[in-house]
Amino acid sequence: MPALDKNSARSDLKEFIVKAFLFGNKNQTFADSDSFMDKGIVDSTGILELTSFIEKKYGIAIEDEEMVPDNLDSINNLVGFIARKLG
Amino acid sequence: MEIFDLLKKSALDFPERTAAIYQGNSVIFQELFAASRDIAAYLKKLDLSQGARVALLYENSIEYIYLYFAIFGAGLVAVPLDTSLRPEKLKFILDDCEAEVLIIQSKFAGHLQQLSARSGSIKYILSNEEIEIENKRLVLKKLSGLLSSGIGRSVKSLVTDKSGEGPSNLPDNLAAIFYTSGSTGTPKGVMLSHRNLVSNTLATIEYLKLKSNDSVLVILPFYYIYGNSLLLTHIAAGGAVVIDNRFMYPEVILNTMEKEMVTGFSGVPSNFMILLNKSSFPTRRLEHLRYFTQAGGAMAPEIIRKLIAAFPSKEIYIMYGQTEASPRVTYVPPDRLREKIGSIGIPIPGVKVQIMNEDGVEVPDGVSGELTVTGDNVMLGYWKNNDEEGRVIKDNRLYTGDLARKDSDGYIYIIGRKKEIIKTGGNRVSAKEVEERILEHQNVAEVAVFGVYDDILGEAIRAVIVPKEGHHITLDEIKQFCQLKLADFKIPKIIDFMDSLPKYQSGKVDKMQLAKK
Repeated sequence: MPALDKNSARSDLKEFIVKAFLFGNKNQTFADSDSFMDKGIVDSTGILELTSFIEKKYGIAIEDEEMVPDNLDSINNLVGFIARKLG
Repeated sequence: MEIFDLLKKSALDFPERTAAIYQGNSVIFQELFAASRDIAAYLKKLDLSQGARVALLYENSIEYIYLYFAIFGAGLVAVPLDTSLRPEKLKFILDDCEAEVLIIQSKFAGHLQQLSARSGSIKYILSNEEIEIENKRLVLKKLSGLLSSGIGRSVKSLVTDKSGEGPSNLPDNLAAIFYTSGSTGTPKGVMLSHRNLVSNTLATIEYLKLKSNDSVLVILPFYYIYGNSLLLTHIAAGGAVVIDNRFMYPEVILNTMEKEMVTGFSGVPSNFMILLNKSSFPTRRLEHLRYFTQAGGAMAPEIIRKLIAAFPSKEIYIMYGQTEASPRVTYVPPDRLREKIGSIGIPIPGVKVQIMNEDGVEVPDGVSGELTVTGDNVMLGYWKNNDEEGRVIKDNRLYTGDLARKDSDGYIYIIGRKKEIIKTGGNRVSAKEVEERILEHQNVAEVAVFGVYDDILGEAIRAVIVPKEGHHITLDEIKQFCQLKLADFKIPKIIDFMDSLPKYQSGKVDKMQLAKK
């Protein structure tokens, strides 16, 4: 499997989150290290949309046990998690 | 009995027992009582009018609990605020209830510029951290500076020392105002008295058989009346609330349930749907768990059956209520659940439920009518909204707006709603409010908003929009517009555009036909 292009993953994930949860409002900024939970960016149903997007986009399956903040709760965590899954 | 007495009694009976756990920290009843009393003593000294409203913008935490009880201890009125609301809506509520004190968690300090500068009634702001406020007229106090006098003192000595308490509250005094979405779209303040909340708390403890060795995992916000009920019942029973605000990661929640050995878990339908379909919940043993409670909208029968199948030996309480009823009205006793799936059960102790026809006459079993409630749990009324109050309370009877029937065993079944309220993920959303906000868009000619079945949310909000002739609106544009105007949970999940809306001869939009498209 090809290694993940982290920069493009970062921008794809950000674009999805801005579109799906911030309703395209680019003025509402967040840093790559910001916690989605603390910032109130994603909620309990939103995280399901986010994981479903990642599964389709990167062709990976996310197990229930992997649905934890260390893997999913920021852009940095997501990129690291996807890279590990693909690696 | 008043609300502060619930905490005082448990502190006297169980001073050393754990009252709350949050993020690895725990607090025993003695400490909780002492902290509440310290804050109450501070509030009491402020220059406030009698029965002043104290607004609380705070996430679930141990601090929330002592702050909330302190408001009652000082003889004041609590107004818990929905932390997900936009500043515009928060400001409306602060102005509407004429709050004199705002207790705000520092993470929401960004809202202050919009709130304090224009909310004329606020005199004092309390926060957990130093925060910047532009309005120099306001007095800012840091919470940590107010806690000290109770530390190391026995509950008995604190109880006898009345200096930390406000005037006694009479049972029918206003205790708290909980704001809910009104059918007109304007938030309505539901006024609950000490009698309302205490009676409902004691009745709930009775049918759930709560004891001091019970502890509940709380994922629902305390500003929401169901979350508030979890807090009051467990504090009053001498039990514990285990707070975890991370439900978006169900595995984390399940780990907390196991680690803290909770005996109860309470959720709205979407919580159970997520746990059953998207987590390892069905395979967990949860050996210490005694009961589940579910309220906040009807849960699909197949989800109830799935829950029973996954946890056949646990008590499952399906419940029904409304903020206006403090909130619990009915419950299904767990031993009858299998034969009564789809029912909201029987009235809780001390509450009477009657199904009435349009002439206000009780209908026989099997016939449908409006579900009405009488009892000590029925709200005092709506804050400064006599018109709406007159529509729902007649002769001390609460008309819930839900259409229901009773079977021959007295079990009640909800069959529909009089008003167009969408119950999505445990929230009640007025279709009319969402329509009104979308219509404020300059290029929208018509809109119809309604609920559609959703696996996770129970109901999802769908909006069908007709743009003005010659104008084009994009999906992103309308979503951004909704984000400015509506709380996140009220933003339609599905948005479609059409050239016209199907209508009845009367001109009213035929939403039934729309829902099929």
